[in-house]
Amino acid sequence: MNKDAQMRATINKKLIETGEQERLKELLRAKLIKCGWKDQLKAHCKNVIKEKGLEHITCSNFDDLVAEITPKGRALVPRLCEEGTFSKNKNFPCSVCQPLR
Amino acid sequence: MKMEEMSLSGLDNSKLEAIAHEIYTDLVEDACLGLCFEVHRAVKCGYFFLDDTDPDSMKDFEIVDQPGVDIFGQVYNQWKNKECVCPNCSRSIAASRFAPHLEKCLGMGRNSSRIANRRIASSNNMNKSESDQEDNDDINDNDWFYGSEKKAKKRKSDKNPNSPRRSKSLKHKNGELSSNSDPFKYSNSTGINYETLGPEELRTLLTTQCGVISEHTKKMCTRSLRCPQHTDEQRRTVRVYFLGPSAPLPEAEGSVENDSFDVAESQALMSRLQWDGSSDLSPSDSASSKTSTNNSESRKTKKKKPHLSLVGAAPGLSSNKKKKPKPPAPPTPSIYDDIN
Repeated sequence: MNKDAQMRATINKKLIETGEQERLKELLRAKLIKCGWKDQLKAHCKNVIKEKGLEHITCSNFDDLVAEITPKGRALVPRLCEEGTFSKNKNFPCSVCQPLR
Repeated sequence: MKMEEMSLSGLDNSKLEAIAHEIYTDLVEDACLGLCFEVHRAVKCGYFFLDDTDPDSMKDFEIVDQPGVDIFGQVYNQWKNKECVCPNCSRSIAASRFAPHLEKCLGMGRNSSRIANRRIASSNNMNKSESDQEDNDDINDNDWFYGSEKKAKKRKSDKNPNSPRRSKSLKHKNGELSSNSDPFKYSNSTGINYETLGPEELRTLLTTQCGVISEHTKKMCTRSLRCPQHTDEQRRTVRVYFLGPSAPLPEAEGSVENDSFDVAESQALMSRLQWDGSSDLSPSDSASSKTSTNNSESRKTKKKKPHLSLVGAAPGLSSNKKKKPKPPAPPTPSIYDDIN
Protein backbone atom coordinates (compact mmCIF):
# COMPACT_ATOMS: atom_id res chain seq x y z
CA MET A 1 0.00 0.00 0.00
CA ASN A 2 2.65 2.31 0.87
CA LYS A 3 4.32 1.60 -2.35
CA ASP A 4 1.22 2.37 -4.21
CA ALA A 5 0.73 5.59 -2.43
CA GLN A 6 4.27 6.50 -3.06
CA MET A 7 3.94 5.52 -6.61
CA ARG A 8 0.94 7.68 -7.03
CA ALA A 9 2.59 10.56 -5.37
CA THR A 10 5.53 10.24 -7.68
CA ILE A 11 3.35 10.11 -10.68
CA ASN A 12 1.41 13.14 -9.58
CA LYS A 13 4.56 14.99 -9.00
CA LYS A 14 5.79 14.10 -12.37
CA LEU A 15 2.53 15.15 -13.90
CA ILE A 16 2.75 18.58 -12.46
CA GLU A 17 6.41 18.99 -13.10
CA THR A 18 6.27 18.16 -16.73
CA GLY A 19 3.18 20.28 -17.15
CA GLU A 20 1.20 17.31 -18.26
CA GLN A 21 -1.35 17.98 -15.59
CA GLU A 22 -2.14 21.41 -17.01
CA ARG A 23 -2.27 20.08 -20.51
CA LEU A 24 -4.64 17.31 -19.59
CA LYS A 25 -6.84 19.69 -17.68
CA GLU A 26 -7.18 22.07 -20.59
CA LEU A 27 -7.85 19.18 -22.92
CA LEU A 28 -10.61 17.83 -20.79
CA ARG A 29 -12.18 21.24 -20.28
CA ALA A 30 -12.28 21.88 -24.00
CA LYS A 31 -13.81 18.49 -24.62
CA LEU A 32 -16.46 19.03 -22.01
CA ILE A 33 -17.46 22.40 -23.37
CA LYS A 34 -17.62 21.01 -26.88
CA CYS A 35 -19.95 18.21 -25.96
CA GLY A 36 -22.20 20.57 -23.99
CA TRP A 37 -21.43 19.28 -20.58
CA LYS A 38 -20.75 22.70 -19.19
CA ASP A 39 -24.10 24.11 -20.33
CA GLN A 40 -25.96 21.13 -18.97
CA LEU A 41 -24.29 21.50 -15.63
CA LYS A 42 -24.92 25.21 -15.58
CA ALA A 43 -28.62 24.63 -16.17
CA HIS A 44 -28.59 22.21 -13.31
CA CYS A 45 -26.95 24.85 -11.16
CA LYS A 46 -29.72 27.27 -12.05
CA ASN A 47 -32.33 24.81 -10.96
CA VAL A 48 -30.55 24.17 -7.71
CA ILE A 49 -30.21 27.85 -7.00
CA LYS A 50 -33.83 28.54 -7.85
CA GLU A 51 -34.84 25.82 -5.45
CA LYS A 52 -32.63 26.87 -2.67
CA GLY A 53 -32.92 30.56 -3.14
CA LEU A 54 -30.37 33.03 -4.33
CA GLU A 55 -29.47 34.40 -0.97
CA HIS A 56 -28.89 31.01 0.42
CA ILE A 57 -26.23 30.29 -2.08
CA THR A 58 -24.32 33.43 -1.54
CA CYS A 59 -24.50 33.34 2.19
CA SER A 60 -23.95 29.68 2.75
CA ASN A 61 -20.77 27.87 2.35
CA PHE A 62 -19.37 27.41 -1.02
CA ASP A 63 -18.78 23.76 -0.30
CA ASP A 64 -22.46 23.05 -0.22
CA LEU A 65 -22.75 24.11 -3.79
CA VAL A 66 -19.76 22.06 -4.74
CA ALA A 67 -21.15 19.05 -3.00
CA GLU A 68 -24.33 19.39 -4.95
CA ILE A 69 -22.80 19.97 -8.29
CA THR A 70 -19.86 17.62 -8.41
CA PRO A 71 -21.58 14.25 -8.41
CA LYS A 72 -23.98 15.43 -11.05
CA GLY A 73 -21.10 16.73 -13.05
CA ARG A 74 -19.22 13.54 -12.83
CA ALA A 75 -22.25 11.62 -13.96
CA LEU A 76 -22.92 13.89 -16.87
CA VAL A 77 -19.55 13.45 -18.52
CA PRO A 78 -20.18 11.67 -21.82
CA ARG A 79 -18.56 8.34 -22.42
CA LEU A 80 -16.49 9.55 -25.33
CA CYS A 81 -14.73 12.23 -23.34
CA GLU A 82 -14.11 9.84 -20.57
CA GLU A 83 -12.49 7.24 -22.72
CA GLY A 84 -10.42 9.74 -24.55
CA THR A 85 -8.98 11.15 -21.40
CA PHE A 86 -8.48 7.72 -20.00
CA SER A 87 -6.21 6.55 -22.71
CA LYS A 88 -4.13 9.65 -22.34
CA ASN A 89 -3.91 9.08 -18.67
CA LYS A 90 -2.73 5.62 -19.24
CA ASN A 91 -0.01 6.75 -21.49
CA PHE A 92 1.38 9.11 -18.99
CA PRO A 93 2.53 6.77 -16.27
CA CYS A 94 4.18 4.63 -18.86
CA SER A 95 5.99 7.55 -20.30
CA VAL A 96 6.99 8.56 -16.83
CA CYS A 97 8.17 5.13 -15.97
CA GLN A 98 10.20 4.54 -19.08
CA PRO A 99 12.88 7.13 -18.48
CA LEU A 100 13.09 6.06 -14.92
CA ARG A 101 13.93 2.54 -15.92
CA MET B 1 15.37 5.88 -6.73
CA LYS B 2 15.23 2.35 -5.59
CA MET B 3 11.71 2.68 -4.49
CA GLU B 4 10.73 3.99 -7.81
CA GLU B 5 12.39 1.13 -9.52
CA MET B 6 10.50 -1.24 -7.31
CA SER B 7 7.27 0.53 -8.06
CA LEU B 8 8.00 0.29 -11.68
CA SER B 9 8.35 -3.40 -11.63
CA GLY B 10 5.13 -3.60 -9.66
CA LEU B 11 3.29 -1.96 -12.48
CA ASP B 12 0.81 -4.07 -14.21
CA ASN B 13 -2.15 -3.37 -16.25
CA SER B 14 -4.82 -3.15 -13.61
CA LYS B 15 -2.74 -0.88 -11.51
CA LEU B 16 -2.10 1.23 -14.49
CA GLU B 17 -5.75 1.50 -15.10
CA ALA B 18 -6.44 2.39 -11.52
CA ILE B 19 -3.90 5.14 -11.68
CA ALA B 20 -5.29 6.41 -14.90
CA HIS B 21 -8.72 6.41 -13.41
CA GLU B 22 -7.56 8.38 -10.50
CA ILE B 23 -5.94 10.95 -12.66
CA TYR B 24 -9.09 11.17 -14.65
CA THR B 25 -11.29 11.66 -11.62
CA ASP B 26 -9.05 14.40 -10.40
CA LEU B 27 -9.35 16.14 -13.70
CA VAL B 28 -13.12 15.99 -13.74
CA GLU B 29 -13.39 17.26 -10.22
CA ASP B 30 -11.15 20.05 -11.12
CA ALA B 31 -13.44 21.00 -14.02
CA CYS B 32 -16.48 20.87 -11.79
CA LEU B 33 -14.79 23.01 -9.25
CA GLY B 34 -13.94 25.52 -11.91
CA LEU B 35 -17.57 25.73 -12.92
CA CYS B 36 -18.67 26.14 -9.32
CA PHE B 37 -16.34 29.03 -8.89
CA GLU B 38 -17.80 30.68 -11.95
CA VAL B 39 -21.37 30.18 -10.83
CA HIS B 40 -20.73 31.32 -7.33
CA ARG B 41 -19.08 34.48 -8.51
CA ALA B 42 -21.93 35.12 -10.94
CA VAL B 43 -24.49 34.70 -8.19
CA LYS B 44 -22.59 36.96 -5.85
CA CYS B 45 -22.15 39.65 -8.46
CA GLY B 46 -25.70 39.31 -9.55
CA TYR B 47 -25.30 38.48 -13.22
CA PHE B 48 -26.14 34.82 -13.06
CA PHE B 49 -29.73 35.11 -14.18
CA LEU B 50 -29.23 37.95 -16.62
CA ASP B 51 -29.49 35.94 -19.80
CA ASP B 52 -32.91 34.61 -18.90
CA THR B 53 -36.02 36.36 -20.19
CA ASP B 54 -38.84 37.11 -17.80
CA PRO B 55 -41.99 35.03 -18.14
CA ASP B 56 -44.08 37.95 -19.42
CA SER B 57 -41.87 38.48 -22.42
CA MET B 58 -41.74 34.77 -22.99
CA LYS B 59 -45.50 34.77 -23.36
CA ASP B 60 -45.49 37.69 -25.75
CA PHE B 61 -43.11 36.12 -28.18
CA GLU B 62 -44.36 32.63 -27.99
CA ILE B 63 -44.47 30.74 -31.25
CA VAL B 64 -47.94 30.71 -32.76
CA ASP B 65 -49.06 27.55 -34.45
CA GLN B 66 -52.52 28.30 -35.74
CA PRO B 67 -53.78 27.90 -39.28
CA GLY B 68 -54.09 31.05 -41.38
CA VAL B 69 -51.54 32.84 -39.30
CA ASP B 70 -47.74 32.97 -39.37
CA ILE B 71 -45.58 32.09 -36.39
CA PHE B 72 -45.71 35.63 -35.11
CA GLY B 73 -49.46 35.58 -35.17
CA GLN B 74 -49.86 37.92 -38.14
CA VAL B 75 -52.42 37.33 -40.80
CA TYR B 76 -50.96 36.92 -44.27
CA ASN B 77 -53.18 38.74 -46.73
CA GLN B 78 -54.76 41.12 -44.35
CA TRP B 79 -54.57 44.11 -46.66
CA LYS B 80 -55.52 42.38 -49.85
CA ASN B 81 -59.25 42.84 -49.56
CA LYS B 82 -59.07 46.32 -48.16
CA GLU B 83 -60.15 49.14 -50.34
CA CYS B 84 -58.97 52.69 -50.24
CA VAL B 85 -60.64 55.79 -51.53
CA CYS B 86 -58.50 57.76 -53.92
CA PRO B 87 -58.28 61.38 -52.78
CA ASN B 88 -57.97 62.58 -56.33
CA CYS B 89 -60.79 60.90 -58.15
CA SER B 90 -62.75 59.59 -55.17
CA ARG B 91 -62.88 56.08 -56.44
CA SER B 92 -62.60 53.01 -54.34
CA ILE B 93 -59.42 51.19 -55.28
CA ALA B 94 -58.01 47.89 -54.07
CA ALA B 95 -55.13 48.38 -51.68
CA SER B 96 -52.57 46.52 -53.72
CA ARG B 97 -53.44 48.51 -56.82
CA PHE B 98 -53.59 51.81 -55.04
CA ALA B 99 -50.05 52.98 -55.62
CA PRO B 100 -49.99 52.53 -59.40
CA HIS B 101 -53.45 54.02 -59.65
CA LEU B 102 -52.37 57.08 -57.73
CA GLU B 103 -49.36 57.47 -59.92
CA LYS B 104 -51.51 57.65 -63.00
CA CYS B 105 -54.29 59.58 -61.39
CA LEU B 106 -52.07 62.38 -60.18
CA GLY B 107 -50.01 62.34 -63.33
CA MET B 108 -46.79 62.07 -61.37
CA GLY B 109 -44.18 59.39 -61.56
CA ARG B 110 -41.93 58.07 -64.26
CA ASN B 111 -44.38 56.10 -66.28
CA SER B 112 -47.07 58.76 -66.37
CA SER B 113 -44.76 61.38 -67.76
CA ARG B 114 -43.51 58.96 -70.36
CA ILE B 115 -47.02 58.19 -71.48
CA ALA B 116 -47.96 61.84 -71.56
CA ASN B 117 -44.95 62.75 -73.64
CA ARG B 118 -45.67 60.05 -76.09
CA ARG B 119 -49.26 61.12 -76.38
CA ILE B 120 -48.28 64.66 -77.01
CA ALA B 121 -45.80 63.63 -79.63
CA SER B 122 -48.19 61.44 -81.54
CA SER B 123 -51.09 63.79 -81.16
CA ASN B 124 -48.98 66.60 -82.52
CA ASN B 125 -48.10 64.48 -85.48
CA MET B 126 -51.69 63.60 -86.10
CA ASN B 127 -53.63 66.70 -85.32
CA LYS B 128 -51.23 69.43 -86.13
CA SER B 129 -53.27 70.87 -88.93
CA GLU B 130 -56.55 70.16 -87.32
CA SER B 131 -56.43 71.41 -83.79
CA ASP B 132 -54.52 73.71 -81.54
CA GLN B 133 -51.55 72.69 -79.55
CA GLU B 134 -53.40 73.76 -76.48
CA ASP B 135 -56.34 71.56 -77.13
CA ASN B 136 -54.10 68.60 -77.52
CA ASP B 137 -52.46 69.30 -74.22
CA ASP B 138 -55.79 69.55 -72.56
CA ILE B 139 -56.82 66.28 -74.00
CA ASN B 140 -53.65 64.65 -72.78
CA ASP B 141 -53.82 66.03 -69.29
CA ASN B 142 -57.40 65.40 -68.52
CA ASP B 143 -57.68 62.07 -70.12
CA TRP B 144 -58.77 60.62 -66.87
CA PHE B 145 -61.69 62.92 -66.26
CA TYR B 146 -63.21 64.07 -69.51
CA GLY B 147 -63.45 60.70 -71.12
CA SER B 148 -65.64 61.07 -74.16
CA GLU B 149 -67.00 64.50 -73.54
CA LYS B 150 -64.65 66.75 -75.33
CA LYS B 151 -64.04 65.50 -78.80
CA ALA B 152 -65.39 62.79 -80.98
CA LYS B 153 -61.92 61.56 -81.54
CA LYS B 154 -61.23 61.17 -77.85
CA ARG B 155 -58.90 58.60 -76.55
CA LYS B 156 -60.66 56.91 -73.76
CA SER B 157 -58.00 54.39 -73.04
CA ASP B 158 -56.38 54.62 -69.65
CA LYS B 159 -54.18 51.72 -70.43
CA ASN B 160 -50.82 52.44 -71.89
CA PRO B 161 -50.11 50.03 -74.69
CA ASN B 162 -46.52 49.86 -73.60
CA SER B 163 -47.09 49.21 -69.93
CA PRO B 164 -46.66 45.70 -68.58
CA ARG B 165 -50.28 45.68 -67.48
CA ARG B 166 -51.44 45.88 -71.03
CA SER B 167 -50.04 42.59 -72.09
CA LYS B 168 -51.70 40.93 -69.13
CA SER B 169 -55.14 42.19 -69.98
CA LEU B 170 -54.63 41.40 -73.61
CA LYS B 171 -53.74 37.87 -72.72
CA HIS B 172 -56.66 37.31 -70.48
CA LYS B 173 -59.37 39.04 -72.39
CA ASN B 174 -58.33 38.38 -75.93
CA GLY B 175 -57.39 41.91 -76.71
CA GLU B 176 -60.80 43.36 -76.10
CA LEU B 177 -59.34 46.03 -73.99
CA SER B 178 -57.03 47.21 -76.67
CA SER B 179 -57.61 50.48 -78.41
CA ASN B 180 -59.28 48.87 -81.37
CA SER B 181 -62.68 48.96 -79.83
CA ASP B 182 -63.31 52.66 -80.15
CA PRO B 183 -63.59 53.67 -83.78
CA PHE B 184 -62.43 57.18 -83.11
CA LYS B 185 -59.48 56.20 -81.09
CA TYR B 186 -56.00 55.79 -82.18
CA SER B 187 -53.48 54.05 -80.04
CA ASN B 188 -50.69 55.76 -78.27
CA SER B 189 -48.28 53.11 -79.32
CA THR B 190 -45.51 53.37 -81.79
CA GLY B 191 -47.85 52.15 -84.47
CA ILE B 192 -51.04 53.63 -85.80
CA ASN B 193 -54.06 51.56 -86.53
CA TYR B 194 -54.83 52.59 -90.04
CA GLU B 195 -58.32 51.15 -90.17
CA THR B 196 -59.60 53.81 -87.91
CA LEU B 197 -58.29 56.72 -89.88
CA GLY B 198 -60.08 58.62 -92.54
CA PRO B 199 -58.47 59.44 -95.86
CA GLU B 200 -57.54 62.96 -94.89
CA GLU B 201 -55.84 61.79 -91.76
CA LEU B 202 -54.12 59.06 -93.64
CA ARG B 203 -52.73 61.46 -96.13
CA THR B 204 -51.53 63.77 -93.39
CA LEU B 205 -49.97 60.90 -91.62
CA LEU B 206 -48.22 59.63 -94.68
CA THR B 207 -46.73 63.00 -95.35
CA THR B 208 -44.91 63.03 -92.06
CA GLN B 209 -44.39 59.44 -91.05
CA CYS B 210 -43.00 56.29 -92.46
CA GLY B 211 -46.37 54.59 -92.43
CA VAL B 212 -45.21 51.12 -93.32
CA ILE B 213 -47.57 48.56 -91.96
CA SER B 214 -45.93 46.02 -89.72
CA GLU B 215 -46.96 42.47 -90.34
CA HIS B 216 -46.99 41.54 -86.71
CA THR B 217 -49.10 44.32 -85.35
CA LYS B 218 -50.92 45.46 -88.47
CA LYS B 219 -50.10 49.02 -87.53
CA MET B 220 -48.42 51.80 -89.34
CA CYS B 221 -44.95 52.79 -88.42
CA THR B 222 -44.88 56.21 -86.81
CA ARG B 223 -41.22 56.83 -87.22
CA SER B 224 -39.83 59.45 -89.54
CA LEU B 225 -39.90 59.21 -93.27
CA ARG B 226 -36.37 57.98 -93.24
CA CYS B 227 -36.74 55.38 -90.57
CA PRO B 228 -34.11 52.69 -90.99
CA GLN B 229 -36.43 49.84 -90.29
CA HIS B 230 -38.32 50.14 -93.52
CA THR B 231 -37.25 50.65 -97.07
CA ASP B 232 -38.53 53.26 -99.44
CA GLU B 233 -40.08 50.53 -101.45
CA GLN B 234 -42.26 49.60 -98.52
CA ARG B 235 -43.26 53.17 -97.96
CA ARG B 236 -44.18 53.57 -101.56
CA THR B 237 -46.25 50.41 -101.48
CA VAL B 238 -48.18 51.62 -98.49
CA ARG B 239 -48.93 54.91 -100.08
CA VAL B 240 -50.04 53.33 -103.28
CA TYR B 241 -52.21 50.99 -101.33
CA PHE B 242 -53.94 53.68 -99.39
CA LEU B 243 -54.08 56.60 -101.65
CA GLY B 244 -54.11 54.99 -105.05
CA PRO B 245 -51.51 54.95 -107.80
CA SER B 246 -51.54 58.66 -108.08
CA ALA B 247 -50.51 58.97 -104.50
CA PRO B 248 -47.90 61.50 -103.73
CA LEU B 249 -44.78 59.55 -102.92
CA PRO B 250 -42.81 59.83 -99.71
CA GLU B 251 -40.08 61.87 -101.29
CA ALA B 252 -42.54 64.47 -102.25
CA GLU B 253 -43.92 64.62 -98.76
CA GLY B 254 -40.66 65.05 -97.01
CA SER B 255 -40.45 68.72 -97.69
CA VAL B 256 -40.79 71.64 -95.35
CA GLU B 257 -44.48 72.04 -95.90
CA ASN B 258 -46.47 69.26 -94.45
CA ASP B 259 -49.47 69.84 -96.60
CA SER B 260 -51.02 66.97 -98.38
CA PHE B 261 -49.86 66.80 -101.92
CA ASP B 262 -52.76 66.66 -104.30
CA VAL B 263 -52.60 65.95 -107.94
CA ALA B 264 -53.87 69.41 -108.68
CA GLU B 265 -51.33 70.93 -106.43
CA SER B 266 -48.57 69.03 -108.06
CA GLN B 267 -49.59 70.39 -111.41
CA ALA B 268 -49.31 73.92 -110.13
CA LEU B 269 -45.97 73.03 -108.69
CA MET B 270 -44.86 71.62 -111.96
CA SER B 271 -45.65 74.80 -113.76
CA ARG B 272 -43.87 76.79 -111.12
CA LEU B 273 -40.82 74.64 -111.49
CA GLN B 274 -40.74 75.02 -115.19
CA TRP B 275 -40.26 78.68 -114.64
CA ASP B 276 -37.18 77.74 -112.75
CA GLY B 277 -38.51 78.84 -109.48
CA SER B 278 -36.73 78.79 -106.18
CA SER B 279 -35.29 75.60 -104.95
CA ASP B 280 -37.60 75.67 -101.99
CA LEU B 281 -40.33 74.21 -104.09
CA SER B 282 -38.42 71.12 -104.82
CA PRO B 283 -40.49 68.22 -103.63
CA SER B 284 -37.99 65.68 -104.77
CA ASP B 285 -35.22 66.66 -102.43
CA SER B 286 -35.49 65.44 -98.95
CA ALA B 287 -35.20 68.12 -96.36
CA SER B 288 -31.60 67.49 -95.55
CA SER B 289 -30.23 67.17 -99.01
CA LYS B 290 -31.93 70.30 -100.25
CA THR B 291 -29.05 72.62 -99.74
CA SER B 292 -26.37 70.14 -100.42
CA THR B 293 -27.22 69.11 -103.94
CA ASN B 294 -26.18 71.05 -107.01
CA ASN B 295 -28.57 73.56 -108.42
CA SER B 296 -28.80 72.02 -111.83
CA GLU B 297 -29.11 68.62 -110.39
CA SER B 298 -31.85 69.66 -108.13
CA ARG B 299 -33.60 71.26 -111.00
CA LYS B 300 -33.45 68.11 -112.97
CA THR B 301 -34.75 66.05 -110.16
CA LYS B 302 -37.38 68.67 -109.51
CA LYS B 303 -38.67 68.35 -112.96
CA LYS B 304 -38.65 64.65 -112.79
CA LYS B 305 -40.58 64.40 -109.61
CA PRO B 306 -43.77 66.25 -110.30
CA HIS B 307 -43.87 64.84 -113.75
CA LEU B 308 -43.78 61.41 -112.30
CA SER B 309 -46.46 62.11 -109.83
CA LEU B 310 -48.67 63.34 -112.56
CA VAL B 311 -48.04 60.50 -114.84
CA GLY B 312 -47.82 57.89 -112.21
CA ALA B 313 -45.04 56.11 -113.99
CA ALA B 314 -41.64 54.98 -112.84
CA PRO B 315 -42.73 54.08 -109.41
CA GLY B 316 -39.36 53.06 -108.27
CA LEU B 317 -37.92 56.48 -108.85
CA SER B 318 -38.73 58.19 -105.65
CA SER B 319 -37.42 55.39 -103.55
CA ASN B 320 -34.12 55.51 -105.29
CA LYS B 321 -33.89 59.23 -105.08
CA LYS B 322 -33.81 59.65 -101.41
CA LYS B 323 -30.30 59.68 -100.21
CA LYS B 324 -28.35 58.43 -103.12
CA PRO B 325 -26.68 60.68 -105.61
CA LYS B 326 -26.49 57.94 -108.16
CA PRO B 327 -28.88 57.93 -111.09
CA PRO B 328 -32.28 56.38 -110.63
CA ALA B 329 -33.91 53.42 -112.32
CA PRO B 330 -33.94 52.75 -116.06
CA PRO B 331 -37.29 54.32 -116.94
CA THR B 332 -35.93 57.69 -115.99
CA PRO B 333 -33.95 58.46 -119.10
CA SER B 334 -37.07 58.23 -121.19
CA ILE B 335 -38.76 60.91 -119.14
CA TYR B 336 -35.66 62.95 -119.36
CA ASP B 337 -36.01 62.79 -123.01
CA ASP B 338 -39.57 63.91 -122.76
CA ILE B 339 -38.68 66.96 -120.78
CA ASN B 340 -35.74 67.81 -122.88
